[in-house]
Amino acid sequence: MTELTQPPATHPSTTRPRSREISGLALFMLRRVLALVLTVLVGVYLTIIIANMGGQVDELRIIQIRADVSEAVRANPAVAAAERPALIEAQVAQEVERLGLDQPFFWRSLDYLRRAMLLDLGRAEQMSSDLGSRQVSAIITERLPATLLLFGTANVLVFAVSLIVALGLSRRYGSALDRTIVALAPSSAAPGWFYGLFLILIFAFAWPIFPSGGMVTVPPPETAGAYALSVLHHMVLPVFAIFISSIFVSIYSWRTFFLIHSSEDHVEMARAKGLTDRMIETRYILRPTLPPIVTSFLLMLIGLWSGAIILEQVFNWPGLGTLLFQAIGFRDTPVIIGGVVIFAYLLALTVFLLDFLYALLDPRVRVGAP
Amino acid sequence: MQLMRALDPLQVASSGVNLLRSGLVLTFASALALSPLPLRAQDNLDTRRGGLLDEIVFATETDTARLSGLISDGAFQLTAQGVSDPSMFQRIRESALIDYDMSFGGSVELTLNPAGPTFRDGTLNPFHVPAIREAMNWLIDRRFIAEEIYGGLARPRSLPIGTAVPDFARVAASARAIELRYRHDPARALAVIEAEMQALGAERQGGIWHHDGRPVTLRMVIRSDDNRRQVGDHVANLLEGAGFRTERLYRGPEEASRIWIASDPAAGQWHIVTGAWISTLVRRDSSDDFDFYYTPRGRPDPLWQAYTPAPEFDRVASRLAEGDFADLEERAALMTRALDLAMQDSARIWLVDQSQIGPRAADIQVASDLAGGVRGSQIWPLTLRFADRVGGQARVAMPSVLTEPWNPVAGTNWLFDRMVLRALNDSSVLPDPFTGLHRPQRLARADLTVREGTPVSVTLPWVTLDQAEEITVPDDAWIAWDEGEGRFLTVAETGQQGLSARTRTLLHYGPEFFDRLWHDGSTVSLPDVLVSWALTFSRANPDSPHFDPSHVPVFEVFERQFRGWRIVSEDPFVLEVYSDQISLDAETMVAQRTASVLPWHVIGLAMQAEARGELAFSSAKADRIDAEWLSLVAGPSLPILDRRLEDARDAGAIPFPNLLGPHLTEEEIAQRYDNIAAWRAARRHFQIGDGPYLLHSVHPIEGALVLRHFPDFPDPADRWLGFAAPPVPVLDLDGPLIVARGEEARFTIQASFAGDPVAADDMEAARFLLFDGDGTLIEEGDVTEIGGGMWEVRLTPAQIAALGMGPNSLEVVFTSRHVAMPVFASQPFATVPVRTANW
Repeated sequence: MTELTQPPATHPSTTRPRSREISGLALFMLRRVLALVLTVLVGVYLTIIIANMGGQVDELRIIQIRADVSEAVRANPAVAAAERPALIEAQVAQEVERLGLDQPFFWRSLDYLRRAMLLDLGRAEQMSSDLGSRQVSAIITERLPATLLLFGTANVLVFAVSLIVALGLSRRYGSALDRTIVALAPSSAAPGWFYGLFLILIFAFAWPIFPSGGMVTVPPPETAGAYALSVLHHMVLPVFAIFISSIFVSIYSWRTFFLIHSSEDHVEMARAKGLTDRMIETRYILRPTLPPIVTSFLLMLIGLWSGAIILEQVFNWPGLGTLLFQAIGFRDTPVIIGGVVIFAYLLALTVFLLDFLYALLDPRVRVGAP
Repeated sequence: MQLMRALDPLQVASSGVNLLRSGLVLTFASALALSPLPLRAQDNLDTRRGGLLDEIVFATETDTARLSGLISDGAFQLTAQGVSDPSMFQRIRESALIDYDMSFGGSVELTLNPAGPTFRDGTLNPFHVPAIREAMNWLIDRRFIAEEIYGGLARPRSLPIGTAVPDFARVAASARAIELRYRHDPARALAVIEAEMQALGAERQGGIWHHDGRPVTLRMVIRSDDNRRQVGDHVANLLEGAGFRTERLYRGPEEASRIWIASDPAAGQWHIVTGAWISTLVRRDSSDDFDFYYTPRGRPDPLWQAYTPAPEFDRVASRLAEGDFADLEERAALMTRALDLAMQDSARIWLVDQSQIGPRAADIQVASDLAGGVRGSQIWPLTLRFADRVGGQARVAMPSVLTEPWNPVAGTNWLFDRMVLRALNDSSVLPDPFTGLHRPQRLARADLTVREGTPVSVTLPWVTLDQAEEITVPDDAWIAWDEGEGRFLTVAETGQQGLSARTRTLLHYGPEFFDRLWHDGSTVSLPDVLVSWALTFSRANPDSPHFDPSHVPVFEVFERQFRGWRIVSEDPFVLEVYSDQISLDAETMVAQRTASVLPWHVIGLAMQAEARGELAFSSAKADRIDAEWLSLVAGPSLPILDRRLEDARDAGAIPFPNLLGPHLTEEEIAQRYDNIAAWRAARRHFQIGDGPYLLHSVHPIEGALVLRHFPDFPDPADRWLGFAAPPVPVLDLDGPLIVARGEEARFTIQASFAGDPVAADDMEAARFLLFDGDGTLIEEGDVTEIGGGMWEVRLTPAQIAALGMGPNSLEVVFTSRHVAMPVFASQPFATVPVRTANW
């Protein structure tokens, strides 16, 4: 965001003609859109190249197809030994053709890219959705709610709690609680799944009050209320695992952020005026720091998209993280690309919106300033 | 049998996490109490029909490491996954809450690169020399691998055929003699290697073999994702002890495949690969194993094309694969010779037969397949029960549920999906889980006639077998399909009068066959058989809207052997099938001739959807026409089928009207559509079957399925209960430890199962093998049954004298009629000079 700068305080923005300001903003947005599209394009193409190991995956897949077909044919007692070679060759050729492996990888990679950029996610090559669809969009959207529910809940909790606590701590710098939070911050070096293991051990086996995994009791309850309660019951441990792995460092981070802003002159002035703590927090600390908070919140929401592969594995949670992991295992390129391209577009859209909002709302940000 | 896909990449990547989790979780979980499940009202076993449980719930559990904890905890009663981790096996053995079944379908071997004697880069490949390959058999201690590396979950194996298959039982005596010839003898191995390496022009410098001034380095591709890592290290250490340098390439499944399957063996990228194979069912016929594993005919891949078996071995392997033998005696002789020649060839060094355990709650019983475990068992739905009661709910853990779309024409072939489907569908015959031999389910009996000279045997009384000089296909038998008219053409109509076949099979179905109900309440009828036949032909016809190119190669194989169908009688249903396809067992041949039964009213809806390009039966066709792959249980297929149901119901439409029409009334057609519409409304899917359980509800996202008892299943619930546990006999061999020359020796064998003596009628064969101290087979013969579960072997003074002085051993091999796996017992004894008075 090099174009966005903080102009000198002496530069009066109001001296610019309104129309020139709007056209500048439009030009800026256009350039941002082009830059973001280019970024998405490069990112997606890199994903295609990496997911296919520069085309070497073709060789692996043909080997696997050949092995699978050979053994399937051999396992068929109705096929005589003399018939097998021809049958194997015919079936391998069909499968190679179906997957397009008879075409050079370079041209296929360009086709993958074209379709990805047009958000035509197409059909999976190996995987089916849980409901049985081969459409990549169906495969992804089917798993999305589970991931959003789990990580959305956990991250919103972390975000809200850490903001509130951090704000309080910024006024109690050096207190026992503050020192405790600082001391516990390094505990976030361990990921959520690591805490998940211990939580399962304690609360699912040693003291079994929560299930060890899954999203709902099996068989799932038939009434909506019971189903929702069951989902909540199953969410407790994974949400708690995410929460404890993130909360301390998040509080620490926001508390440091607020501390810096708390020592600004205008806050000191407010204190000197005798304003209440609540008024100082909301009007003099929170309001000026709203843009970075919103940015952080939006990026956090975007981050939910991909889920957390290992945590979902640990808790047997049927989300996107597990799905992408399976897709990588199957080397199902369209599903991998589908997951990445949606994430890339969402991220680009978010960045664009933030740029736009900053340019519109933050009085200190001006477009095209030197 | 299929190439072991080692581990799913998912498992590989998450194994570290799983390991840590299992270590933490299972320590605690194994000590937890079993919480009882709520059970529904129970039936009496005498009156109950079909399945023995009220409800079976399948749920996803991807982590095998915590299965024992979940079973202990009562979360599951059974797992479909096999477990091969020795430490978990130990925990399960120690748990009072968990029992287990063993299966023996896996094997581990070393694949040796036969190219050479030098690779393209000029480096030496010692394994080009058969004698060095053969010496590997003596170098490796298979017992160490089985007991130390696999922790008891494996049995030593030296030969190309597994130890738990019927063919091993058929040639057990000679196989055992060959095994002993190749028992662990490192000194002999080193001597052979020494001589052969020198013959190749290599010499030892500083204890290391050198060739052309360079050390001989063996590149070992070692699979790193299971116990083969330790196996590879063990073998590498042995080879280093023999004077070779080793380069250990630890690789996952895909990377390993790229090296050993895709590369040219002459390029020298590898010398040894740690391989593994798995079978999910008891293979009745292993006669093509030699052709597959040791000759270029096995597979078109470069490694197979590099095999150069000795001419005699090549000929014997080919004859076995093609069934070129007059009778079973000749086949047994060929098998024995092939075993001998395979060991001399030793392109593969067989190491162990791997076992897996299938954990289950201690109060659960189920018939587990000897090779494939419970997931491979065809009769699990008819045997799964609580040991102490009828009814109740069992939860089964599976690594995945609904992995691929379900449809009965070309739907999922996923192992675990098919396990569930076996509970939903009935079969004409079912394979015995312990012998692989088919037994009648809907069939009452069958008469098989084969052309004279066809090597077929029959074991069970429900099949009669006879031979005929010539088998002529009747003119009115159906042999071809007319897509335009939508009917079958007879032999006469196709101008093939006088057509002959190698076999004729007369299938007599039970009187209840057309009195049974589909799960939606419709009565099974002849059109359900006809629709299956017609679709088989129609899908291979380019003029058909159901044409599927992916079906064509398999159909062409079928068509080349198919010689005709004829419905002899509709009530009772008797079907005559003519075919050139041959198997070793008459029961297997009959099984391959049985008719598929599909609910025509559901298949008809799917056919309409396929004809409109909305759905496709197969994955390949779905991709080709850019439609969804038909699923009868969930997803976008269901609303499409709803629309087709509405249309068909309004029009009274049926599939293949010229073929099915004469067998259906308007009332029957309307009733069928009413039934499936009601079923769809109640169960929210279209999956109906005729099996002992019906699909009550489907929960794809949650990864769960619920099956419920189908009370209208025709058979009594206890029909298959005799297969709850494999009756593997236990042998107790007793006899003298010292025998003097000139004396007779008597050895007794007690055969028992679960503490009860095994009757002589239950034994197919009981043989003894007498070996001298060098492991040379001196004598073999039958063991004599003396009653009460006891047998004896009497060695005459002449037989004792033939042994010479010193240590010897007597081995006995018993083959049960009820289990494919032969059992062995041995007793060492010493022969000493003639006793004197003061001795």
